[in-house]
Amino acid sequence: MAHRLHCLARRLGHFYLLPMVATMAFFWGSAAAADLFDNVRAEQAVGTVDFLSDESYEHPTADVKVADPIEPFNRAMFAVNDKFYIWLLEPVATGYSKILPGGLRTCIGNFFYNLGEPVRSANSLLQGRFRDAGRTLGRFVINSICGVLGLADAAGKDFKIAPVYASFGQTLSVWGIGDGFYLVVPLLGPSTLRDFSGTLVDGVATTTYAPWSDDTITTITVQGIRTVNRASLHIGEYEEIKSLTFDAYVAFRNGYYQIRSKQYDHSNSTK
Amino acid sequence: MQRNHFLTPFLYAALMFSLVVLNSHTGVAAPPDPTEQLRPFLDKVTTTLADPKLKKMTRQEQSDRMISVIRERFDFREMSKRVVGRQWQSLSDKEQDEFEHLFTRLLQYAYVGKIDEYSGQQIQFTQQRVKGDRAEVQTLLVDKNKSIPISYIALLRNDQWMIYDVVAEGVSLVRNYMEQFNEILRKDGYPGLVKQLKEKVAGLEKNLTKS
Repeated sequence: MAHRLHCLARRLGHFYLLPMVATMAFFWGSAAAADLFDNVRAEQAVGTVDFLSDESYEHPTADVKVADPIEPFNRAMFAVNDKFYIWLLEPVATGYSKILPGGLRTCIGNFFYNLGEPVRSANSLLQGRFRDAGRTLGRFVINSICGVLGLADAAGKDFKIAPVYASFGQTLSVWGIGDGFYLVVPLLGPSTLRDFSGTLVDGVATTTYAPWSDDTITTITVQGIRTVNRASLHIGEYEEIKSLTFDAYVAFRNGYYQIRSKQYDHSNSTK
Repeated sequence: MQRNHFLTPFLYAALMFSLVVLNSHTGVAAPPDPTEQLRPFLDKVTTTLADPKLKKMTRQEQSDRMISVIRERFDFREMSKRVVGRQWQSLSDKEQDEFEHLFTRLLQYAYVGKIDEYSGQQIQFTQQRVKGDRAEVQTLLVDKNKSIPISYIALLRNDQWMIYDVVAEGVSLVRNYMEQFNEILRKDGYPGLVKQLKEKVAGLEKNLTKS
């Protein structure tokens, strides 16, 4: 038993301390201290969008409209990603979807999402969202055990703990670091300088405890499977959205900022 | 905490009573409840979508049928005004009419493909917010293994809440088109925008008859 625990701890690497810290936070989270902290957070929420005010339509706030000084480069990368998606990713994902049934693909998606929960928990802690840190960690524990290694979302379905958004890009934003500028990353899509840096940090943090951190080729293969699996659940959506746009580049840039502004806004999440 | 004071229910009752009396005296009714107005409307939309007769129609007829139902509670004029932005005021009445007509057709043809995807998904009402003559009604479109949050933004016109924006998963339809149209207006002006809109609608219409 002790040996097993030791192995587990070693596999979890530097992150074996995290569950303990977050479990403590979970209990602490129910205390008044967390309420106080949540309130402070809510007040700090930056430029949230209010759909009931005309002001937010006529003069989009900074979190919806961000500088795009390298637009020519971004447009070129958008074109590259567009072709990559239509010529390579979607055909592969379509073939893959014919082999594996939809239910199984959803499970694989759940498995990858579940692996990211400790990182989400850590980010919630770094942002002072103790309750969310407990929630994500609770989801991780429940789904890893009851959901069989995260294949099913038992926490969401049976325990009614909805998934919570948290990323390092968001942590940086809470710490007061600006977006920099809009950046279309090859193969990855819309981001900003800050958020792309955050994505890299989150990715590295995940590999420290992921079961396949042994070598680069395995990591790349797993990421490939993950990407194909995700695409297989959204076949045809990209073309459909694109066909309704007048300037696909502008439409996706605006969509990215709008989705992100909702993800970053947690004023509604602690009811 | 004095929250559970024994007088509270009486105070509450007195307040309710005085409100009722005040209302009946002045004749000024509180604004109607947005959710109560949107519920029967969205019910009608889903029943129309589920109607087996709809499946037998041609694409054109399907889209005409749906838009006639949707028109009841969508203010396409207000939508058009918002997607065009500041330049709307400088357009003539005729131009405004033309734009509204084109933009409505764009939405009519754009979402006709969604009709086939409807398979009895339910709409749950989660929350509402009212601020003066504006309201946001938040709903969840419940599908097999996911729920999509959709908000309807409405304006009060003659006691009727009229929808002028739809926000799906945080993305506002109006804001998204507004930003695209802004770019076109800046580069090619209003004539350029109308030209592109006409081309888009014609293209979608062609697809409609093809499939």
